[in-house]
Formats: sequence, C-alpha cells, structure tokens
Amino acid sequence: MKQAWRHLWRSRRRSLLTLFAVLIPVFILVLELGLLNGENKSLFENTVKFETGHLQIQKAGDRPEGGALPLIDDPERILGIVDHTPGIAWRTVRLDLPALASSGGRSQGILIQGVMPEEIGQVNPIGKLIAEGTYLRTGERGAVIGKELSSLLVAKVGDDLVLLGAHPDTGIGAANVPVAGVYTAPDPTLGRTVVQVDLGLAQTLARRPGAATSIVAFVSGVAGPWDAPKIDRVVKELRARLPSDYKVLDFRELAPDLKTFETVVRPIHVLFMAIFFILGGLVVLNTLFLSVMERTHELGVVLALGASRHRVMQMVLTEAFLLALVGAGIGALLGAGLVGLAESGGGLKLPGVYSDFARVMGMEPVLHMRVTLSELVMSGLAMVGVALLAAWVPARRAAALEPVEAMRHVD
Amino acid sequence: MSTNPVMRTEKLVKTYKTGSVETPALRGVDLELCRGEFTAVAGPSGSGKSTLLHLLGGLDRPTSGEIFLDGVLLSSLSRDALSRLRLEKIGFVFQAYNLIPVLTVLENTAFVLELRGVALRERIARARKILGELGIEKYANQFPSRISGGEQQRVAVARAVVAEPAIVLADEPTANLDSKTSLELIDLMRHLNSEHAATFLFATHDSRLLDRVSRLVTLEDGRIVRDEHRVQVATARV
Repeated sequence: MKQAWRHLWRSRRRSLLTLFAVLIPVFILVLELGLLNGENKSLFENTVKFETGHLQIQKAGDRPEGGALPLIDDPERILGIVDHTPGIAWRTVRLDLPALASSGGRSQGILIQGVMPEEIGQVNPIGKLIAEGTYLRTGERGAVIGKELSSLLVAKVGDDLVLLGAHPDTGIGAANVPVAGVYTAPDPTLGRTVVQVDLGLAQTLARRPGAATSIVAFVSGVAGPWDAPKIDRVVKELRARLPSDYKVLDFRELAPDLKTFETVVRPIHVLFMAIFFILGGLVVLNTLFLSVMERTHELGVVLALGASRHRVMQMVLTEAFLLALVGAGIGALLGAGLVGLAESGGGLKLPGVYSDFARVMGMEPVLHMRVTLSELVMSGLAMVGVALLAAWVPARRAAALEPVEAMRHVD
Repeated sequence: MSTNPVMRTEKLVKTYKTGSVETPALRGVDLELCRGEFTAVAGPSGSGKSTLLHLLGGLDRPTSGEIFLDGVLLSSLSRDALSRLRLEKIGFVFQAYNLIPVLTVLENTAFVLELRGVALRERIARARKILGELGIEKYANQFPSRISGGEQQRVAVARAVVAEPAIVLADEPTANLDSKTSLELIDLMRHLNSEHAATFLFATHDSRLLDRVSRLVTLEDGRIVRDEHRVQVATARV
C-alpha cells in the first residue's frame, strides 16, 4: 500500500490527471443525483399535497376515466378505523366531483375538491398560495380558484360562479358560489382545474349530505418518495382492517405519472452517467498502462526477486484503488458540498425560459437538490469499481512480464 | 565448507534466436556448486557469464540441459513455482543495483521478507541486523537516490542475503563501482560467506577481485575452460 502510494507521488502529473478523470464523473454524478432527488421530491410533494395525499381510501367500484368517484356514505365509520391504524399522521375527508364552472357566458370543466378547510390547511398549500381574497372557512359559501381559471372565466374575487356538479349515483346539482379567493398554482393545469369549496357545498352539489369520495391520509416520517416503504406498510395495514368494499390506493396508484420519473427520467440519467464513468475508466486504463510501461524495469526486478504474478497485479491494482478512492472521495465531497450550498440558499432558481418551462411541466421554478450519504458512498464505490476494472488490463500486462526481458527495458 | 552440492547443472545449453540467426551463449556447461562456496565466474565479455547466472537463477529457461537447485529440477517447475523457488532459495545482486526507488533502504532490504510473508516486526529486525552488519544502518530511512552507488550495492547485497537463501547470485556486482568500493563490496560478500556460510556465485571480468574467491570458474565462448579451487584468503572487514 505504502509502495503504491509513493508511486503515485513519483508521477504526480499523471496521478493528478487520473485523479481528475475519477473525480469529475463522481462529482457530476452527485450533482445529478442531487438534482434528480430534488426534482423527484418536488414532484412528490406537489402531487401528494395538492392532489393525492400519501394514500386515499375510496369506495370500491368501477370508475370511468375522469368520472366521479363512488360516494362513501358513512365516512365517520371509516375514519374511526383509520384513526386507530398505526402510522397515520393526518387524515381528512374529501369529496371530489367533476363539474362545470361558468361565469359571464364562459365555461370550463373543473374538478371540485370539497374539503374541510381547517383540516386540509394543515397540509394542502392552496391556503398559503392565495394571491387575492381569502381562503375558505368551514360552512362558508365560497370557492377558491386558480389564477388560470380566474383568467379563463374572467372571474375575480366576489364574482359569482355557477357550479354544476354531476354524480352518476345522484344526478346533477347546481349552486351559485362567489369567488372567495384566487390562488397561485405551481402547475398551470392545477390552477385551471382544481376549485376548492367547503365540504358541505360539495355535498350539496353531489346531492348527498354527509358523503365523501375519499379519505386522504398522510403517513408519519415520510420526507420524500424514497420513504414509500413506510406508506406501503400503512396501506397494507389499512387493507387488512377495512371492509372489503373499500380500497386503499397509494400515491403511485393515484398519480401514475410519478412513475414516469423512475421509469424514464432516471434511466436516461443513469445512461448518461455510465458514459462519463466509462470515459473515466478509459483514462485510468491509459495512465496505468503508461505507468506499467515506464516501470517495466522495476517490475522485472520485483518479479526476479520472486514476487508472484498475483503480487505484481496487486501492486498495479492497489495504485488504481488508491487513486480511485481519493478521486472519488474528493468528487463525492465536492458534489455534496455544492448540493448543500445550493440548498442552504433555498435551491437554485431557474432563469427566464427555464423557469417557464418548469412551471409548464408542473414543477417549481427552483431546482432543489438532495443527496443521501448512501448515494454518495455508492457513487464513489461505483467509480472505484470502474477504475479497478479498467486497471485490470495493465495489471495483467505487468504480471505477464518476463523478468529478464523486463530488466533489459531502459526507463 | 560442505561438499553438499546446492546447485548443479548438466550439459547446459542456451542459444538465442533472432529471426533465423542463432547465437549460442552456453555450449554445454556442467557445474556443481557446493554449500558455502564463494565462487567467481570470470571471462571476457560475451563469454556467457550473465546468461549462466540468469539460467541458474531461474530467470530464463535453457535451450537444453538441466539445472538442479537443492535437488529440485528447475525445468520441471511452472512459472509460478519458479517464482516461489527464486523467492525462497535465491538471492540476487544486479549490476545496476536495481533497488526499488520508492522504498527506503530498510524497506528495500526487507522487501524479500515481505514477499515471503514474514511478519512486519520480524522483517524489520532482520533487515536492520543485516544493514548493521554491512555498516549501512544509518541509511535505513533514506531512499536509494540519496546514497552513493557503493552504498546502494551494499543495500542490494543486504536484500540478497537477508532471507538467508540457498545461494546468492551476483551479476557483475562491481561493474559500476570504483576499484576501492569494488574491493570493499567483495570483502563484505566474503565476510557474509564466511560468517553465515552463504553460498555466493558472482560473475565478474575484474581480475583484481579474483584473489578473494575460493573458486574461480572461467568461461570462454559458452564453455568452462578452467575451474580452480583456491586457497582461501583473509579478508578485511569493511
């Protein structure tokens, strides 16, 4: 080990080059992971807070795409079961109803979320995103709409909206509702479609007092999509406890688009990084080949003294290991440092057109970054593995040297 | 001196081939080296001295003929087994010292012991002891580049004998040294030979060194032309 370390210092320029070849891919990978995790977390949080929760309990039954969910007539009974299930951090009832919103001769298809304002405010951010007017209060007749819908219907705070709800089990319900507030949505689609009203009003529109369509719940200790196993455990528990005519869906089932991230975006990034790692490996291979060539005489002496081929291979591989370990360590630390720095400033704000693009894609115009210790370690180890694999070829060449021939080699 | 042979060759032939040109280097060498002998192989340039040492050291394979070391037939050994035999039975001193530049004098000396798997504490102790015996312990923590050629060659001798091999092969060990240093080195080797009963075989073309040896084998054109056992001479401890 000591011998290998000193060899690295003997050819500092070449070692430095190899170090960079190892350091840069790891550094970039850590940044990539930081961005991927940050974006994944943003998508997850937007989805679960605005739409799905970590899980929902719904009445079982076929539901046409975009159609109304079956009604739960006795949500209190189900809430009783949920409240006694370990792991539930928060829950509320909601009544989602496809509807038509009209104002001044303009109409738009919307989704009414009938909520309990005091409860939903604890997790749903719409209450905090009110740009004009106020958020809902329990029992108050009013609607909170997105800026986009406000523009489409030319409806401002205080203007009346005609809401026409339709449920296949109960028929059509209508109500005249003033706009209580206008919120700024992180996603224009959300702002165009989601209208929140008090649960009582939604029940009126559904023509079923006391009913709901889902019980939305959050699981304790979940910081991001990587904590999905915690959600899975609670889902499993609830499925065991609830009557068979109820189903429990997790956030992935409720928002299948989230899977796209795992199945498309991440593999593309992995492929991209694999190319970087291979390039890094090729530099390691090249520099170690040079090192073996330059030290042919010395390796010949080592072989002549009786070193086994295994030992000579070990010498070359140890050098590669040390270089890769130091390079990957520095790369991982630099990457983690930059991720930490970016996050301590509230994330990286996207400039101009990228910001608009992010909003269109339903993402915040801020790049949040996050990287875990295990990801840092895995990134580093992956590069060490690639470097060792690359070093195998020069190591074999060194071990195959004939002592006498090698000792004739002039340094 | 024991008459027990440590190394023996039978009709040793080595021919180098370059394309269709064949250059004979050894033409049937029969040699028997006994334990504790201090033997020089002399002869003019191109007489086959280095080739003989390479073959005896298992660094190269003969074209024909056999070599036995401690009764083991070298040609029967695989490459790995030959490496192991070199490690356990043979010490080498090369003309160009061939110390490992990134190891200190102490580490160079202990290197063979490390290859043999000797524990750190023991190999340091043994290396220090032999360095002390050769008068170079003060350089233990120096790198080879910081000491003179004569001192480097002493380190090479220390490395060759530290593991107490069956035989030490030295190929022109004094070729790069001045006369005084050459004589000092030979005397040191002679001292190790008499104190530790180490068997030495060294190649040289320096006639001034030959009165220090107990046996002189002279090669010419790849053949042994003379094999003289001499009266031992007293050596000064350097």
